[in-house]
Amino acid sequence: MYQYDDHDRRIIIERAQQFRGQVARRLSGEITEEEFKPLRLQNGLYMQLHAYMLRVAIPYGLLSSTQVRRLADIARKYDRGYAHLTTRQNIQYNWPKLGDVPSILDDLADVEMHAVQTSGNCVRNITSDPFAGIAPDELEDPRPYCEIMRQWSTFHPEFANLPRKFKIAVTGTPGEDRAAVRFHDIGIRIVENAAKERGFEVLVGGGMGRTPHIGAVIREFLPKRHLLSYMESILRVYNLHGRRDNKFKARIKILVVALGVEEFRRRVEEDWEATKTPELELPDAEVARVTKFFAPPAYEKLPASADQLTALSLGRDRELGNWIKNNVVGHKVPGYSAVVISVKMPGVPPGDVSDTQLDAIAGVADRYSFGHVVVTHTQNLVLPDVKTSDLAKLHAELVELDLGKANVGKLTDVITCPGLDYCDLANARSIPLSLEIAERFDRIDYLNDVGDVSIKISGCINACGHHHVGNIGILGIDKRGEEFYQLMLGGSPGNDASIGKILGAALPQDAIVDAVEKVLDRYLVVRESADERFLDTVRRVGFEPFRQAVYGDALFGAAAEKGAE
Amino acid sequence: MPPATHWVVTASFTDDGSNAYRRADGTWSRALAEAGLLTEEATGKVHAAQAVADEQRLISDPYVIEVHASDSKVEALSARERIRATGPTVPIRRPDSGLRR
Repeated sequence: MYQYDDHDRRIIIERAQQFRGQVARRLSGEITEEEFKPLRLQNGLYMQLHAYMLRVAIPYGLLSSTQVRRLADIARKYDRGYAHLTTRQNIQYNWPKLGDVPSILDDLADVEMHAVQTSGNCVRNITSDPFAGIAPDELEDPRPYCEIMRQWSTFHPEFANLPRKFKIAVTGTPGEDRAAVRFHDIGIRIVENAAKERGFEVLVGGGMGRTPHIGAVIREFLPKRHLLSYMESILRVYNLHGRRDNKFKARIKILVVALGVEEFRRRVEEDWEATKTPELELPDAEVARVTKFFAPPAYEKLPASADQLTALSLGRDRELGNWIKNNVVGHKVPGYSAVVISVKMPGVPPGDVSDTQLDAIAGVADRYSFGHVVVTHTQNLVLPDVKTSDLAKLHAELVELDLGKANVGKLTDVITCPGLDYCDLANARSIPLSLEIAERFDRIDYLNDVGDVSIKISGCINACGHHHVGNIGILGIDKRGEEFYQLMLGGSPGNDASIGKILGAALPQDAIVDAVEKVLDRYLVVRESADERFLDTVRRVGFEPFRQAVYGDALFGAAAEKGAE
Repeated sequence: MPPATHWVVTASFTDDGSNAYRRADGTWSRALAEAGLLTEEATGKVHAAQAVADEQRLISDPYVIEVHASDSKVEALSARERIRATGPTVPIRRPDSGLRR
């Protein structure tokens, strides 16, 4: 993985030192909260419902075991013994004291980590495919380009005060989008043109929030050397023309819609033609230098995994067999597999990992996966390089750690924002619904029968829980001070991107999980076969059977009435 | 008799971001039950503005909330403020798997 050079190290240490002074001035009253707020946000520090929250950047989700141990240590020393995996491959601490934050930043800097670009109207942490570098279907590892853009965007003076936050995602697998690039301000897909040259397809204007949009392609093929100059032109057009008078209309997606894709493209291309100077070109040598940091580890020469995986998945140990089927992912190197550690357990807020678990995960990563761990935007963890022959042993260790749940990609693997239990912006709670779903559907046969279905829950329209792209999406809303929930169906974040639509009137909290169950029960009845995924069934039969299932019932009708506008 | 509607000034303590509620004597408490109850929202807004000017070191972002007060308790009207007053409704710390061994 990338190792800081002296410049990286110096700017991060200096930033932590500056923040120590700013915090001291705030605590002494020398500066007001109004003056301090932009400073703390530039260091990932939010004021939430009950406490400060510090969001730590994890570029493209990749962590070393040393960094994982440090995150555990920080959770223990300065927080309440746990960290929370976010829906953008970062982690956050929910209870730091203001006076401790400079020391936390020092501790992070010591292991080449920081909290910049996790808040504010700047280019945020750049995300990617959690299986980057190992996926059998990958065209090229996207992480070197993520890292190059991280270095370019960090403290970029022209883009330090954009109209709104700006999110970029990159995938190197054109055949399967596991990074939701169509729902980012800029989505980048590594592609090959007719001449078999590699370059980038560039999408702009995707996003969720109160006005969800699927990103539009503005350049089908960008030669690699122009990556940074083209990014600058997109950001410059946005910076100049994006709205600053209304924060709800300030994201680039609004500008793209207002101008039209063609006009937006024309402006970008015009700027690009005028500004793509040689200094902004990416030399091959620089790409090669950064790519070296992502060189494959020292894999052993091993037989292919298929037979072992079949034997394990069909073996007598059904818990292991289900885990192999649901949590183990193919690897491009024979004899190796990627393992998704589910952080979705009954009784546990999704994505919360304790300090002792983090320490243990670091140990497991060292023993089984070359010391690497990846945070996924689905709030799980990936061990990317596990010998297939070690899977049974690894599974036994994860079960001991309470991290052996075989539910990845299944309906209890819910993406959930912090909601009104923590978040200052939320209208309704998200985590209790997720916990209820985890309890109610915690039956492996049922999970396997229902198959691949995603539930995503947001506690407000800002959509941190990605509800727009859930096969089943749940959105919390406030109705006269009470929590209600809209149920949405049909969303997908991948290559078949779609935005979910509202099924009917909002439901109260005590009815929403029942409604999910009715939707799933109806799916089991109307699907063509066990092979037809939930999403495909919804697309084939439409909403009516599900609407009937949820709202046809008199009880639900009455409950929904209360939530009707 | 139904509980009466009152207003309370709340904020966050600057040192740790925890809830602050303005007592009747102008000092700040971490407990909603100790908050000074106001019969008019406008009075709360005056106190909040004063706090911004005079007490910004101790507290941040003061504002006024609506509460129901009875002899036995003070309860915020909105779900947001009820949860804010009582803390997360979900387990705060993941059960420590180390204890299972």
